[in-house]
Amino acid sequence: MSVVSVDSTGTAAPPPIVETFRGKHILVTGVTGFVGKVWLSMVLTELPQIRKFTLLARGRKGVGAKARFEEIAERSPALRPLRELYGSDFRQLLRDKVDVVDARLSADLCGLSEAEADALMADVDLVVHVAGLTDFEPDPPLAIEANLRGALNVAELAKRSAGKRMLHISTCFVAGRPSREVPESLEHGISPLGVKFDPRQELEELSADMASLATVRARTDHAMARGQRLGWPNIYTYTKGLAEHLLLMTPELRVSILRPAIVECARSFPMLGWNEGINTSGPLVWLLGTTFCRFPSRATNHFDVVPVDTVARGMILAAAELLRDEGREIYHVASGQRNPLTFGRAVELTALAWRRIHGRKQATTFESLVLRHLEARPVEADGDRLLDVNTVRRIARSVRSLLKGRDATTALPERMRADLGDSLNKRMKSASMKARNLDRQLGRVDDMLRTYRPFIHDHDWIYETTALPAATARLSEDERARFGFDVDDIDWRSYWLDVQVPGLEMWCIPILKGDSVPEDEPLPFNAVGRIAARAKSDEPTDESKRGPSACPEAADGPRPQRSVSA
Amino acid sequence: MQQAAFFRVEGTLLDRPALAAAAWLAGNARGLGGRALRLGNVAFAAPLSLASSLASGATATRVTWMGLRGMTEDRVEVLAEEYYDEYVQDDLMDVGRRLLDRARKDGRRIVLLSDNIEQIAGRLAEALEADDLICNRLEISRGKATGRLEEPVVGSHLAGQWARGFAKENDIDLDLSWAYGAHAGDSLLLSAIGKPCVVDPDFRLRRIARDNDWPVVER
Repeated sequence: MSVVSVDSTGTAAPPPIVETFRGKHILVTGVTGFVGKVWLSMVLTELPQIRKFTLLARGRKGVGAKARFEEIAERSPALRPLRELYGSDFRQLLRDKVDVVDARLSADLCGLSEAEADALMADVDLVVHVAGLTDFEPDPPLAIEANLRGALNVAELAKRSAGKRMLHISTCFVAGRPSREVPESLEHGISPLGVKFDPRQELEELSADMASLATVRARTDHAMARGQRLGWPNIYTYTKGLAEHLLLMTPELRVSILRPAIVECARSFPMLGWNEGINTSGPLVWLLGTTFCRFPSRATNHFDVVPVDTVARGMILAAAELLRDEGREIYHVASGQRNPLTFGRAVELTALAWRRIHGRKQATTFESLVLRHLEARPVEADGDRLLDVNTVRRIARSVRSLLKGRDATTALPERMRADLGDSLNKRMKSASMKARNLDRQLGRVDDMLRTYRPFIHDHDWIYETTALPAATARLSEDERARFGFDVDDIDWRSYWLDVQVPGLEMWCIPILKGDSVPEDEPLPFNAVGRIAARAKSDEPTDESKRGPSACPEAADGPRPQRSVSA
Repeated sequence: MQQAAFFRVEGTLLDRPALAAAAWLAGNARGLGGRALRLGNVAFAAPLSLASSLASGATATRVTWMGLRGMTEDRVEVLAEEYYDEYVQDDLMDVGRRLLDRARKDGRRIVLLSDNIEQIAGRLAEALEADDLICNRLEISRGKATGRLEEPVVGSHLAGQWARGFAKENDIDLDLSWAYGAHAGDSLLLSAIGKPCVVDPDFRLRRIARDNDWPVVER
């Protein structure tokens, strides 16, 4: 008699995640990016039963894809848990488990020949497509190549794979306009505004239009107008949204789409607070720590943030369901429905976090006496305000035009010219430069706020999030702790004050200021064949059970770091 | 039955009254206008606290904390932590610490009574490893303080009836228990406990202690 275990939902429990991934070969794109790195690192750390990863990547600046990945693997903090776990065997792990293929996603078959593609894909169980261009308003042909053609070319490869399964990473913000509760599903061929359209025709027309327009501005304006006609507020969401429709039309391929909301600092994996590059909230948080602390947003709107390790867990859950041929079309990785954070609260928490930072002993007098008490608050975007960005820009320009090229000595009495003239001229020149820099800086701020406006002010979305909680409910207690969807557990106050803002302060804000962020020293490598034995083991070793270091100053002491220029 | 040591935090362990904490929190509200308004509210509570009779002590306590109305729970938590770090943790009265250590050594249950809000008094109780904390709790609705305190409001008006109820609930022998206070308002509590002791008292409590033959501990 066979015994079927039943999960908490009353249905037959699926096999454990470790068993689902055992012996599987997964092809991944986008591992050099923020989410891709964390996911790869988490899977290799938590699921050593996996047989192989093939990474499609592109070389850069004369460095081949393999060398580029090795550099990331050895230096990126995202892979630190893996390096700590495997120590001197880390390089051996990469040799055994990871193949890197130089590929160009925008080319047919990602730049592979027919024979290469068939040979590679014959053994692949699942394709995970993370790569994409996340700029909101890039030159449209770049977004079309990366987010549309790239996705379709990867899908063509996936169709040739043994498993014929593809997990595509999209974004919740394909929901577009108008504000609403967004279901965890996709109406094929229906745009966010409810307009019926043909996705293939839309892509062809868009591509043709782009070819006929000469300037970036013209292309951007045209693509924005096309996207907005259908309900997508910018080029990023337009191309990602269109890709979803096209992928789900692909015959002979099981496609699941995972839509994360705003991906932010890690809660625990690879370490507390880890983030990479300039992401969505980094510039906003930075802005709120300056004198421009009036934040154009609606206090009651949802700020849908998810930590990057929650996204990685969601990817594991969705991939497992896809591997068991139980995958759904759409998975939302969002917090707004289950554990909402509003803009009002986020702005208040950011102000409090800056209050802490500006209250530190090493803070300057200006920071501790002025900025610390000049706290951020949400304001209406179009409200008249004293000292809003445009007013200050106008003042800065006036000051500059008043000072530029003037000779102060002419305004001084003759007897004072010799003593004060040079000094005054130097001061005027310096003030003029400062006014120019302020104007430029505020110009960037203004651009940024305009780009973000649909997401932080104009619209409010609540994303239905039921698929991943349902998948979590079917896990064993042990696997729920390791892979379960965990947004319900987030204490936003603690996350924002102790994880998010300190994380951005360390990993993102220095880049915004033109400074460098820390990167790990490579480990000394000394390959010993310990990996094979570990991979064969069903149970994680004691070593693998320990959590990753919580922060760079973890219990085992600060790690050696080197600075890398932004 | 066990014995307890009741400490009125303000005066025996802390120099600063709860009013100072309320004023500091109000003075760090968001925006200059908000600060002025809240500080005005707390300023109104100050003479009320000083002039109030024992029976209206609860009103003075309520008015003291009313200035936090509309402040977010996040801000109250963060400011309370900052206040504790800056003005409480390294500023405990030595005499109070000594009495508390001795009470613990003698096996008494440590009960702290504080007019401060839970966000501040809770941190102190945790640091002192107190067994019980009786303090004020801000009523929070939709993430913001309503300006009201949850019942029971803790202040000098808490006395015999409360102490007897607490003792019964926790199996404490009040006759063999100690109570420590520093202000005249604490006399109600002190007189309800078997072994009262005044710590660096104000002049009114000093007179009451002399009349009742209570021991006086100076700084």
